[in-house]
Amino acid sequence: MVQQAEYTIKLPTFEGPFDLLFHLIKKAEVDIWSISIADITEQYLAYLQSMKELNLDIASEFLVMAATLLRLKSKLLLPRSPRAENLEEEEELFEINSAEELFQRLEEYRAFKEIAGLLRQKEEEQKKVFLRSTGGQKVMVFSQQESVYTIWEGAHHLSDIMTRFDKIARAREYVPAFSAVEDFVVARKADYIQSLLQQSKRAMPMKTFVTESGLWELIIVFIALLEMSRQRKINLLQEKPFGPILVSLKS
Amino acid sequence: MKKEQQKKIIEALLFLSEEPVKTDKIAVVLSTSPEEAEAMVEELQDDLSSSGRGLQVFETAGGYRMGTLPELAPYLEKAFSEDISSNLSNAALEALAIIAYNQPVTRIEIESIRGVRSNHVIENLIKRKLIKISGRKDGPGRPILYGTTADFLRYFGLKDLEDLPQLELLDLDQDGVSTQQQTDNNPVDI
Repeated sequence: MVQQAEYTIKLPTFEGPFDLLFHLIKKAEVDIWSISIADITEQYLAYLQSMKELNLDIASEFLVMAATLLRLKSKLLLPRSPRAENLEEEEELFEINSAEELFQRLEEYRAFKEIAGLLRQKEEEQKKVFLRSTGGQKVMVFSQQESVYTIWEGAHHLSDIMTRFDKIARAREYVPAFSAVEDFVVARKADYIQSLLQQSKRAMPMKTFVTESGLWELIIVFIALLEMSRQRKINLLQEKPFGPILVSLKS
Repeated sequence: MKKEQQKKIIEALLFLSEEPVKTDKIAVVLSTSPEEAEAMVEELQDDLSSSGRGLQVFETAGGYRMGTLPELAPYLEKAFSEDISSNLSNAALEALAIIAYNQPVTRIEIESIRGVRSNHVIENLIKRKLIKISGRKDGPGRPILYGTTADFLRYFGLKDLEDLPQLELLDLDQDGVSTQQQTDNNPVDI
């Protein structure tokens, strides 16, 4: 019979790889700028190993950092080749290519972690202040009046444009045409819109770009404007709700 | 109007208000200047503390509020035990610190400093109304920009963002954190 040892080990939990690294540095009682990459890598890997032995889930960020550390360590051992450095591609979260960069990122993290600690103190202090108006509930009873989301004005434009096109289409009783919209047609329309805008050098109402009649044309203009807006070539402006939508070139 | 009368009015006003009251508003109520109103609030603060009362007037989120003295908390908790919200997590405080100093800031920028994915943390902060979406960044994908709310100031008892402790960064260029303002809404020449 296999005897299972029943004991619990408490591992401190960390908010992320920077937090763990920071903890290791503090434990070594050195400051960030004087740590040795080799030592810190070893300790970092040892910690991950103990997590693994305890069957804890290791978040991917921790593994990416492990790889980053190993690469930094190997870099220190190898002669420098300036060419190779430019070729490297990094995971976005850790664009760390040198020990200095790592130290800087750690330093930055440390500064914000410190602020987080100060905010914690403020939170505790503030919880001790009771307010009459909330019937003894504490300060963090939030106001109901303030809205959280400010609607992105781009989304606003999009629905406006769609509503307006729908209106125009209905008013003129367009007959739906079922042809596929081809890219080059849209591109040509976009060029046309751009040249009109360049000539006039001012904002123009959307309807100027509809030359023929037909739902087909309307759809092309619609797609072209969306595409140009996406490419950040144009500004869409509406001064009041349901007012005309003006198109202008981005300077 | 006499000073004493003015202070009484301010005291009553703050007693009734559920929101921080701005100096401007107090000035309107008293038909006086904001400077005068502020001086009166300060006198009221002194009066309260010197006469050994259980209440205080404190500045938060750009206005004044009346609340109890912190040292009374252990007693008041016996009467008002309901604690409606738990403390923020360490992760939430980290993210808040980064947002407060770098706003408007994108999720990627927050994650880059923390070194971990932070979408859940950000979601929770929005739910608790401590941060809000403050716009979109000009650039690929138009990422959402986040900023702190007035509730953030209230929660931590801060007067304004200037009231935050000094961020002490040693020899660091902030290339990871672009706080570029969104300049999308240029007025269009018509």
